[in-house]
Amino acid sequence: MIPEIEYIKETELDLALQHLASDKKVIPFAGGTDVLIELRKSKNPFDRKALLDVKGLGLNDIYIHSDTVIIGAASTHTEVEDNEIIKSKLPVLTKASSLIGSKQIRNRGTIGGNIINASPCADTVPALLLYDAQIVIRSLSEDRTVPLSEFITSPYETVLQKDELVTEIRAFPVAEDYGWGYYKLGRRGAVNISRMTVAALMKVDGEGKINEIRVSAGSVFPITSRISDVEKMLVGEKPKAEIFRRAGEIAAEKMIETSGRRWSTPYKESVVKELIVRVLNEAYSRCKNDDLS
Amino acid sequence: MMTFLDVRVNKTRVRRFVPAHFTLLRFLRETEGLTGTKCGCEIGECGACTVLLDGKAVNSCLVLAPEVNGADIWTVEGLAEGFDLHPIQKAFLDNDAVHCGYCTPGLLMSSIALLNDDPDPSEEKIKTYIAGNLCRCTGYIPIINAIKEAARILKNEPRPLLK
Repeated sequence: MIPEIEYIKETELDLALQHLASDKKVIPFAGGTDVLIELRKSKNPFDRKALLDVKGLGLNDIYIHSDTVIIGAASTHTEVEDNEIIKSKLPVLTKASSLIGSKQIRNRGTIGGNIINASPCADTVPALLLYDAQIVIRSLSEDRTVPLSEFITSPYETVLQKDELVTEIRAFPVAEDYGWGYYKLGRRGAVNISRMTVAALMKVDGEGKINEIRVSAGSVFPITSRISDVEKMLVGEKPKAEIFRRAGEIAAEKMIETSGRRWSTPYKESVVKELIVRVLNEAYSRCKNDDLS
Repeated sequence: MMTFLDVRVNKTRVRRFVPAHFTLLRFLRETEGLTGTKCGCEIGECGACTVLLDGKAVNSCLVLAPEVNGADIWTVEGLAEGFDLHPIQKAFLDNDAVHCGYCTPGLLMSSIALLNDDPDPSEEKIKTYIAGNLCRCTGYIPIINAIKEAARILKNEPRPLLK
């Protein structure tokens, strides 16, 4: 059962930031799909928390500003999934958002919340990393922008301070001739907690060689990140089965190097190899290159 | 902390003071006596508590009552008009989509949300909309058949959308 709380809702950002800057423990929340579940686990009834509802702050706009896609942090996964700008400019994010939880969860959960909760299996993070996403943070004293790759510091920990609020996510689309791939591995077909996620963007040049490649993986490393060793190896190579297999092997080596051999390693090692191959194949199949045909 | 709510529940305007830590689910069941909406897992996994909030299916166990101030809420009690069942309810009965019945109110509300968005849904789309509603009796096939039948019936005799 949810313990007694204080509920605060503001319609002005500055007033909301004042609450966060106060000495009181104030927890900002939007969809509540993580915050309310955490609140139910609270054991101490005297530790009364104040919840700040940010849904009245108008933080759910999605628009393009000089080639940058701006996504309000309180945009729900449904709003992101159905948005036409995101469908055309950030298709990997559309795919990622559509696979989160259930319809009911997507109608409430938000993209900002997914990032701030900083779960290693957050579905939107691998997609946003491909688009070099930046997190816009506001507080009464300072506004700052942090790259997503530096925002999450360890599982469930971010650089966000108590008096700060994430207001928007900025993402930088790639040209239309990039192909993309996204694979979410789960224990069942729907309403999944992701066991492993791999995402990629690929561009092939006129000679049929990989010109640019971005690969990110969730639940492979402690923090969801791009796999630069894989990217470096693939650039300049012709997309072939053996090269993709080699990419998978490098990712698996990197995983073991980072986390050591654990009980789950025999499973994860073979799975990460296979997912990298699948996602690279998927991205390659979507590459538009007239010179090749 | 108490909070004041001014909402519409199944078309009826309701004004109440409720504890701020009540979920929408507790407000509906304990304050309003609308026990058709079921309490299952309370972590947003099972969908038994699904209601429509401003036309969208939500897990009412993951919504705080004060969040819904000013909103339109539809629960399973709002579907039938007197003894005249809503076509989706009739279709669930006719297709044996109700066994133990605990998931039924939530599934009915997810079905209504689906038919609001898409009056002629594909089987794939039906599955997407009901994926968040667990049913351990039917195996889902009768439920999917019922939703298809309701969509056919509603095409010929449309009902006002519950939004």
